[in-house]
Amino acid sequence: MTSVSGITDPQFEDPRLLPAAMSLRDVSVAFHGRVAVRDVTFDVPANRVTALIGPSGSGKTTLLRSLNRLHDLTKGASVSGTILLGDTDIYQGGIPTTVLRSRIGMVFQRPNPFPTMTIYENAVAGLRFNGVKKKSVLDAAAESALTSADLWDSVKQRLNAHAATLSGGEQQRLCIARALAVEPEVLLMDEPTSALDPISTKRIEELMVELKKRVTIVIVTHNMQQAARVSDLTAFLLMGEDRAGEQIEVSPTLKLFSAPEDQRTLDYIQGRFG
Amino acid sequence: MTVTIKDAEIREHLRERSVATLRRRTYISGVMTALCWLAITFAAVPLVAVIYQLLRRGIPVIVKSGFFTTLPQQPTIFDANNTGGVSNALVGSLAVIVYAALFAVPIGVLMGVYLAESTSKFASLLRIITATMVGAPSILMGLFAFEVVVQQMHVGFSIIAGSFGLAVLVLPVLATATEIAIRNVPSTYREAGLALGAKPSTTSLKIVLPAASTGIVSGIILALSRAVGETAPILLVIGGAYAIAWHPNQAASALPFQMFQDVQSNYPSLQNETWGIALVLVGAVFIISFAARLWAARKKKVQR
Repeated sequence: MTSVSGITDPQFEDPRLLPAAMSLRDVSVAFHGRVAVRDVTFDVPANRVTALIGPSGSGKTTLLRSLNRLHDLTKGASVSGTILLGDTDIYQGGIPTTVLRSRIGMVFQRPNPFPTMTIYENAVAGLRFNGVKKKSVLDAAAESALTSADLWDSVKQRLNAHAATLSGGEQQRLCIARALAVEPEVLLMDEPTSALDPISTKRIEELMVELKKRVTIVIVTHNMQQAARVSDLTAFLLMGEDRAGEQIEVSPTLKLFSAPEDQRTLDYIQGRFG
Repeated sequence: MTVTIKDAEIREHLRERSVATLRRRTYISGVMTALCWLAITFAAVPLVAVIYQLLRRGIPVIVKSGFFTTLPQQPTIFDANNTGGVSNALVGSLAVIVYAALFAVPIGVLMGVYLAESTSKFASLLRIITATMVGAPSILMGLFAFEVVVQQMHVGFSIIAGSFGLAVLVLPVLATATEIAIRNVPSTYREAGLALGAKPSTTSLKIVLPAASTGIVSGIILALSRAVGETAPILLVIGGAYAIAWHPNQAASALPFQMFQDVQSNYPSLQNETWGIALVLVGAVFIISFAARLWAARKKKVQR
């Protein structure tokens, strides 16, 4: 057992001591030379939920999108520093982005199932894009992914219905299933419940806790209670003097919300700003 | 807390003032509404007048027996009302637009995809050219078709020359419509595809293009229905044959072409016939665009 100041729970484990699924070293992201996030360094513990919190403009989403190289699409965006997935440097390690992104899935802020596809087609879209054609494989993957996303029972009778016929919460769980179907090691979630009602939000939070048995989750959230409920490790970012996001504190969630090391973290979690 | 007399006075004053404000606002609102209606009336008068005239003069022409099924006749002084029909122009128009579509739709859509997807310098240049061509006078396309197809390719006056003129005319329109439809697809779908490990080309082809298809198809339909009524690009090249023709190399007539001819006639009966042809063209555009909108709206509903 490790001792972390301020925590007395004997069950407590320090996620920082667990094996890392991803490692960030001095990661900075800039757009047209303007730095948006600067010098972020921490390890993402495997099979745990890591939350990125902080006020608007602190660079949470920007940082998240650097983890699956989604900034590659943006003209003028540049990522410096080192990001490791296991032992592989995702920018310099020569790993093709298509392979990288099938190992690191993503769920977006608003549910975005592909509008022209059915529920089934959405669930297996990632596999089809990666060349899987065999129907038995696709069928099995669809059932498994939809089951993992807590959606199978409500959609198994209407797999050929359009994805748009689902409610917002169901659509978001379909997006989670779509990401899970390609069996990623890491799942990035960019404020996945910000467009959902409290009940749908609760289901997705419960899902995250269940899912971390098989994937590592990194979630960006505006909602501090959500970070406190679902995450094991929390990284708090804040916009610095020059409007670039900076890492203020990365602590086990229990500690960050009970006895933060930095005064600014305390001010933020107590709602004094942001 | 007790309410003093002073507070009550202030409240009364405020109430009176808000009543006055409300009265003034109601008055201004009424004046503005009246002005809006006046403006709408002025805008609507010419439109309604055109449609009224089109129906009043056109309907008697198109209900005349044989209007759609017989060839045009030259009226004589003995039979000044013997104008015949427009069967050749109807077939000619259909043939011209079908051949034009075969040529322009694939190229225009591909060009639109390229414009929407590419960020290269060449794409920007192409975009400027496209925008210019959308606004270019349509007679220029006729002149171009005349020069290229009729003269240099020695095809002569023909349906294919007219199709060529129309195709060049709608090409930039199709490219622009496709580009807009693709750009209107929210970037989050593209990102979702890439985030699944799909190649950029797969993402464009399997996600973005299907999502844009409704917009692209309505763009195609609207562009072509508009092109059916275009006169200038075919005027110089189609030949104006008084016989049914549909082979690309044959000279033919077309509805707008025949209008152009008839209106120059000395016979009032022929001049009058132009209203019938105009009604057919406007009716076709109306039906096609109405159907396209209906289809797009229904498709959208399924996807939402």
